[in-house]
Amino acid sequence: MKRILASVTDGKGFDIGLVLLPLAFLFVMSGLPLVYNVVMSFQEVDMFSLGTFARPFVGFKNYVDLFAQPETRPILVNTALFVSASIAGQFLIGFGLALFFWMNFPGASWMRGLFLVSWVMPGLVVGAVWNWILSGDFGVLNFFLREIGVIEGNIFWRSDPHYSLWAVIIANIWLGTSFNMILLSVGLSGIPKDLFEAAELDGANALQRFFTITLPMMRSTIGAIIALGLIFTLQQFDLFAGITSGGPNNSSNVTQYWAWDLSFRQYDFAKGATISVIMIVFVMLASIVYVRSTRHEVRG
Amino acid sequence: MTLQIELNGVNKYYGAFHALKDINLAIEEGTFVALVGPSGCGKSTLLRSLAGLEKISTGEMKIAGQRMNDVPPRKRDVAMVFQSYALYPHMTVEENLTYSLRIRGVKKAEARKAAEEVAATTGLSHLMKRYPRELSGGQRQRVAMSRAIIRHPKAFLFDEPLSNLDAALRVHMRKEIRALHDRLHATSVYVTHDQIEAMTMADHVVVMRDGVIEQQGRPLDLYDRPANRFVAGFIGSPAMNFIPAIVGEGGADAILDFGRTRARLSLAARLAPGLSVTVGIRPEHVRIVAAGEGAFDIPVGIVESTGSATYVTAATQPELTVVETGRGEVKGGDVIGLAIDPQQLHLFEVDTGKRIEGEGGRANLRFLPRAAPHPAAATFSPL
Repeated sequence: MKRILASVTDGKGFDIGLVLLPLAFLFVMSGLPLVYNVVMSFQEVDMFSLGTFARPFVGFKNYVDLFAQPETRPILVNTALFVSASIAGQFLIGFGLALFFWMNFPGASWMRGLFLVSWVMPGLVVGAVWNWILSGDFGVLNFFLREIGVIEGNIFWRSDPHYSLWAVIIANIWLGTSFNMILLSVGLSGIPKDLFEAAELDGANALQRFFTITLPMMRSTIGAIIALGLIFTLQQFDLFAGITSGGPNNSSNVTQYWAWDLSFRQYDFAKGATISVIMIVFVMLASIVYVRSTRHEVRG
Repeated sequence: MTLQIELNGVNKYYGAFHALKDINLAIEEGTFVALVGPSGCGKSTLLRSLAGLEKISTGEMKIAGQRMNDVPPRKRDVAMVFQSYALYPHMTVEENLTYSLRIRGVKKAEARKAAEEVAATTGLSHLMKRYPRELSGGQRQRVAMSRAIIRHPKAFLFDEPLSNLDAALRVHMRKEIRALHDRLHATSVYVTHDQIEAMTMADHVVVMRDGVIEQQGRPLDLYDRPANRFVAGFIGSPAMNFIPAIVGEGGADAILDFGRTRARLSLAARLAPGLSVTVGIRPEHVRIVAAGEGAFDIPVGIVESTGSATYVTAATQPELTVVETGRGEVKGGDVIGLAIDPQQLHLFEVDTGKRIEGEGGRANLRFLPRAAPHPAAATFSPL
């Protein structure tokens, strides 16, 4: 007993304790719900069997049923569009801003910090703000587009099925750009300055330096930020709740919102769990990319 | 010989900070020039200005007769070897070497051939497919140099390229760089804080301090006739001893002040009586003799032996260091005599640090021999 105690106070036992504590936490708070979710996707669940774990197993029935539903395909397409457009927008604008602030003009770091305001705002608040901006009759976005001559009539961003998904994408790009910018800024500042000087002396102009030095040196950062972007956009729920609620007629519905809708509004817990499991697969893939690129970063 | 690099009245300001002060420099084609000085003296700024990485504020800069003030680095046709080597970490050695060629649109096969030729001369042929992180310090250094060589630039710029290497490799690379320079007949500008590198490698040494060129010339000229106290102290290792002295009443002799003891020496050139001067004595120009047989006697403080040489530091104020080749018998606490060749003494003004030239052009100083009738010419006398 004494030896165990001594090992905890000043030996290996302390290290093991430090590892075990977060592991236990992760297992209880993340691991068990995850497993529970996976199990549930293979069970028949209704309001009455919610309290018990011993529910009838139905194999892949939930999956088959899910893909038989007519709205499944459009929602999956919506999700793919939402994820890719959001990531592309966040990344391109974020990279542009990161490069801009990298020039280090007076007040650059101060202004860059200000950009983070968008990221620290709660999604529901952002949704409310964008509701005003996107408003069909008197929204600023319509006013602006009309004034510069891009559109003639008002676009009803939130209620027009052609635009409803894009309304959320725009808001999500606004929300995630600054995070991309900060991470990419860190990556940029990690590139030694003398590499650019050497390339400049080797005759490379600004564009050549960007493609031969900046981009390749940023590879691991870009891999990480895109993987994180995939994870974050698949988690994006607040904006859908705040702006379109997935409507009209599922035109802006995506899997993460649908899963919640199925589980907690239609009480079809099994289907909700099934969608979650499908999403977990994608998030896992993204996590592998993320871990791999950050590991590469350390190796230098 | 044509002038390859010309600087006329070059100044560089960083805001209020005056980094380069009226720099004039003319470098002939094929010369190996060393810019040397303590950190913050402006030597790196000067080199970076030559490369175009810093823009000079005023003055004129010419490379190969062409005004370069506003020419961007990529159009200057100079190659630089960085202190950090600045190898492109995501490219193999071969890609590093051919980068400048590929940028210029040289065909792949041609660039590859050029890289192989250069690699063969620098001993990198077997490392072409490696990445910089898989190379040792010396190999990285070679890649950095090869990357410069492959371009056949108008001038090579070296920014302390050896400071990241260990001592043995540094000595080796020193010779290699010099041999390379001789083979290519290139114009090289080499920045270092190590005066030994400057002395051993360069044809022309430029000593800088606080943005000013203190002196420039051939290495041995700087050693033999330093223009001021700073250069005298900077060039030569171990550093020159500086002893404060006051010119005597007649103006024909000076009293050296060693703190608790003094020594008198006669001057060939007459100086103003009462003038404070600094006498410079190189440690290697002093010979240790038996007590009473030299110009004066001193007590020994610390003795350090490297095997090939012995450094004897006298317990005087200021300290006086003497280098003796071989292994001395001297121990701490001994009293030894010092024989000094007066022809090899240097004299500097105290206020300006400027060298005082004697009539003959050398420091015509002479310790009064002990046998001389001059009563004060004895050894140390207590104050």
